[in-house]
Amino acid sequence: MRPILLSGHERALTQIKYNREGDLLFSVSKDQIICVWFAHNGERLGTYRGHQGAIWTIDVDPTSTILASGSADNTIRLWDIKTGKCLKTWDFPTAVKRVEFNEDGTKLLGVTEKRMGHLGTIVVLDVKIDVEAEQDDEKVMTIVCEESKATVAGWSYLSKYIIAGHEDGSVSQYDGKTGDLIYNISIHELNNQLTDLQWSQDRTYFITASKDKTAKLVSAKDLEVMKTYPSDTPLNSATITPKKDFVILGGGQAAMDVTTTSARQGKFEARFYHKIFEDEIGRVRGHFGPLNTVAADPTGKSYASGGEDGYVRIHHFDKGYYDFMYEVERERQNKLSAA
Amino acid sequence: MAAQAKHDWADDEDLEDTTTTVAELPPMQKIQNKDGSTTIIEYRYNDDGLKVKTTRRIRYITHREVVNPLVAERKSWAKFGASAKDPAGPAVDTTSVGENIIFRPSTNWRKEAKDESKDPNAQAMKDKLKDKKVKCRICNGEHFTARCPYKDTMAPIGEAGDVAAGMGDEPSAAGAAGVASQGSAGAGKKGSYVPPALRGGARGEGERMGGKFGERDDLATLRVTNVSEMAEEQELRDMFERFGRVTRVFLAKDRDTGMAKGFAFISYADRLDAVKACEKMDGFGFRHLILRVEFAKKAA
Repeated sequence: MRPILLSGHERALTQIKYNREGDLLFSVSKDQIICVWFAHNGERLGTYRGHQGAIWTIDVDPTSTILASGSADNTIRLWDIKTGKCLKTWDFPTAVKRVEFNEDGTKLLGVTEKRMGHLGTIVVLDVKIDVEAEQDDEKVMTIVCEESKATVAGWSYLSKYIIAGHEDGSVSQYDGKTGDLIYNISIHELNNQLTDLQWSQDRTYFITASKDKTAKLVSAKDLEVMKTYPSDTPLNSATITPKKDFVILGGGQAAMDVTTTSARQGKFEARFYHKIFEDEIGRVRGHFGPLNTVAADPTGKSYASGGEDGYVRIHHFDKGYYDFMYEVERERQNKLSAA
Repeated sequence: MAAQAKHDWADDEDLEDTTTTVAELPPMQKIQNKDGSTTIIEYRYNDDGLKVKTTRRIRYITHREVVNPLVAERKSWAKFGASAKDPAGPAVDTTSVGENIIFRPSTNWRKEAKDESKDPNAQAMKDKLKDKKVKCRICNGEHFTARCPYKDTMAPIGEAGDVAAGMGDEPSAAGAAGVASQGSAGAGKKGSYVPPALRGGARGEGERMGGKFGERDDLATLRVTNVSEMAEEQELRDMFERFGRVTRVFLAKDRDTGMAKGFAFISYADRLDAVKACEKMDGFGFRHLILRVEFAKKAA
């Protein structure tokens, strides 16, 4: 496995995202630009310039036509993926920490920061997947998080729920249409904030990463914790791999402590766990800073990680990865192929 | 592939030269083989005016890949933003390839990683050294000089005086005392420091105590006698290496003629290997003589 190193950013990566076909990889960092790369060879297709602050988050619609980004300059912007043109800017009172399209790309949610007397909110915007269309200015819905601010959020299957992860380690389920709070369950240790929330392909369950050094697989319908993946370092990101039943966790000690420890102790590795058996099955080294974000290619061919060191590394899996199977999995496969 | 059929500019020049000066060359032949490959036979004259026949077999393999049409369309998009001026293909300033990472998922990866770090010397080293040709500068053994068991006590082979001193300490080597005293005498002449225990050919208890090879394991050393005069250390090493890792081979040689004196010592890293070698090699026919192999006796 020979990783491709992308060095288009000058500061720490904040989020990376594959498009639905897995051929494009979008990366954002604190250096205020968005880059888009071809995942198969690491060629940079272009950059999107316009934000005036660190960019915290990015998402791409399912047709790979438009791109949404949220930044510390208190805006959400929409971009034309093909040309790099900014299509729309929404202004907010505080920084935007997370954006996500729903399954069909018609709605966009944004998580705003709690700051300067403003409470943290989750806003929902209507979006038209068309670079020519005039986008609506008005928010469709605003959910105010009074107890603990939301740090991450996402749309469940069929846009039925909005799931939010909070600073206090809890996860909330809101109704996708009305914004009513249905459940709020504490799944991670108290006051260990959720740092990432990524969906399975069908969006019926998701994985959370937390500063309490664990990642959890949670069902979207009833917020039941199905699996727990313990690690030995605060986690910044977690993702579920398609094709193989693995999850990838990324973390490392907090960026502010990095200079005081060596790379070996820093635990700057991507950790692979078996999704079902919860065993750690391997690690991939390479970054020399904590991993801020990991993303799995929806086609299952690769995964990418973005670090505090400013690098994105795309890893295309080789044969050993696909061949690995537990004994029970192999038996089951043999049985199925015999039948 | 297509380029192979064409001449590049350098070849063209060659052709012009030859056609003007020497006789006609047979024309280029193209033969379609049954297995789908093509054989191309060309003739040309080289710089010395000799006719050269070049036969090439070329097989064309069409690699077909089905790509999502959306993906294919996106591959043709023009670059924009900071990459607008970049040529096609990955730009060197933004994209590079990292060093290869071996990633093999495994349920006991943690244990595997630990095993390797815990015991890098024993089994792994043994396997590794089995077919490796590493030569120690001190004892000619197949290990790195830094790992030589004699690195503290023997100087590299090139330095004759010291080698003599080293040889003097071979267990039960005939004339050991004589060589040793020669060596130390030589050292004394040069005016270099001689430790008190070695001064004046002293062979008291002190010397034995601080003996250079006090730590050496004589238990795994074989004495081989009735060795042919023409024998070489390397030959012995090759023969005895079959039974295990050999740490040292010493073949006594006549200082004047350079011929072997007829006996040698072989030290193994592992006593069990030495036992095996002793059994197998005793009575082995080597260079018209029958070897006699036994365990070396401790130096008196």
